[in-house]
Amino acid sequence: MLNRKSGLSYKSWRVVHLAVILIFVATLILKLPNVNQLIGDAIIDTAYSPFFKIRWTVRDLVGTNKENRLLRVSLTEASLRIVALEEAERENPRLRSILGFEPPPAYRLLPARVISVTGEPLPVSAAINMGIEDSVLVNHPVINQVGLVGRVQEVMPGYAKVQLLTDPLNRVAGRVATSREMGIVRYLPSEGMILDNFPNQGAIQVGDTILSSGLGGIYPPGLRVGIVSDVRRPENKPYSLIKLEPAVNFRTIEELFILMPEGP
Amino acid sequence: MTRAIPFVLYLLLIALHEVMLRDITTVLTAEINLAALIVLTVAVYKPELVATWFGFAAGLVLAAGMPDLIGWHTLWLAGLGLLAYHTRERLNLDSLYAKLLLILGGILLHNVMVLITFGAEDFWFLLVTAALPGAVYTTLIGWLFFLVKEGRITWTRIKALF
Repeated sequence: MLNRKSGLSYKSWRVVHLAVILIFVATLILKLPNVNQLIGDAIIDTAYSPFFKIRWTVRDLVGTNKENRLLRVSLTEASLRIVALEEAERENPRLRSILGFEPPPAYRLLPARVISVTGEPLPVSAAINMGIEDSVLVNHPVINQVGLVGRVQEVMPGYAKVQLLTDPLNRVAGRVATSREMGIVRYLPSEGMILDNFPNQGAIQVGDTILSSGLGGIYPPGLRVGIVSDVRRPENKPYSLIKLEPAVNFRTIEELFILMPEGP
Repeated sequence: MTRAIPFVLYLLLIALHEVMLRDITTVLTAEINLAALIVLTVAVYKPELVATWFGFAAGLVLAAGMPDLIGWHTLWLAGLGLLAYHTRERLNLDSLYAKLLLILGGILLHNVMVLITFGAEDFWFLLVTAALPGAVYTTLIGWLFFLVKEGRITWTRIKALF
C-alpha cells in the first residue's frame, strides 16, 4: 500500500507520523524554554477564550441580578429607616416638651403610650400600654404635658382603658384660673366641651383658663382642662352657657402620663 | 480541509467542557473525562493515524491551562488513541457492549495514568473515589452517545414515550 503523493508505503508513512508525534511529545515533556507556555497561551487564546467570555458574561449577568436584588432590599430597608427617622424627628420635639414636666404635688408620673383610640368623630377612649402589673388602678388621672386627658376606666394585664374628657359621661369639677369660680366641665357631642353649672353672674370671660378644682375626688387640682371660647349669659336663667376649647388635642394624643399617688 | 472541521469541533467541545461544563456535570467525585471519551470514539471510527494525531491535539487542548503538563497529556491521549485503535482491530465492534468495554477500559487507563504521572500521594484512595467512578460515569455518557449514533434512541421514540 503506497501513499499516492509521497510514494511511501503505509508502514513507512505510519512510522514517520508516529515519530513526528513522539518528537513533539518529547519536546513538550522536556519543557523547552517558553515552548509549552507559548503553545498553552495560543490554545487558550483561540479555543478557550470564547467560552471564557461566555462564562464571564453569564457570571456578570447573574452577579448583576443578585446585586439588583440586594440593592432593592437595601432600598426598601433604607426607605423604612427614613420613615422611622422622620417619625423620630416628629417625636423629638414632643418628647423635649415633656422633659422637665412636673407632676402635681403628691403624685408621680408613669409614662404610657397610646395603643389605640375609639370613638368618632373625636376619640372618647384610648387604650394605653400600662396595666395591672404597673400598679395602675381605676380612676387614676391621665394627663399629658398640655393638660388633663381623662381617667383610667378599666385595668387589665398589660394595658388599660382611659376614659377621655370627650366622653359625654366624663365630668370634671372645674375652676376659672383667675376668678376661682367653679363649674362642671363636660362634653356634649352637639356643643363640644362646656363649663356647666356656672352662675350667670359669675366672673368669666373668653380666654380664661379652666383648671381642675380637685373637688370631684378623682382629679387633683390645678390641671389645665380648657380655654373659654364663648360666654353667653341668657336673661332669666341661673347659669351661663360657656364653651371651652379643650387644652388637649384629643386627635393627636400619643405619649401620656398616669398620675400615680405617692405614699401609702 | 472540510474533513478537519469535525475534529476542530471536537477540540472546541473539549475546551467548552473544561471551561463551562466540568463543574456542573461533576457528580460528587465523579468527573466526565470528555477528552478521553472523544479520543476513544474517534479511535473506534477513524484510522490509526487520525486517532493518534487527534489524541495528540486533544492533549494540547486539555492541558492548555497547565503548560508544564502538556507533554504528558499529549503522550497519554495520543497513546490512548493508538492503543484504542489497535484494540478495536481485535474486538467485534458490532457489539455495543464491546465498544463500551473498550471505552470503560480506555478511560480507566487514562485516569490511572494521569494519577500516576501527577504523583498523587493517595493513589489508591483517588483510584477508588475519583478514577473508577469517573470512568463509569464517562462510559454511561458514551453509552448514550452510541445509542443515539446507532439509532436506538431517536427523537421519534422519545416523543412516543410522552
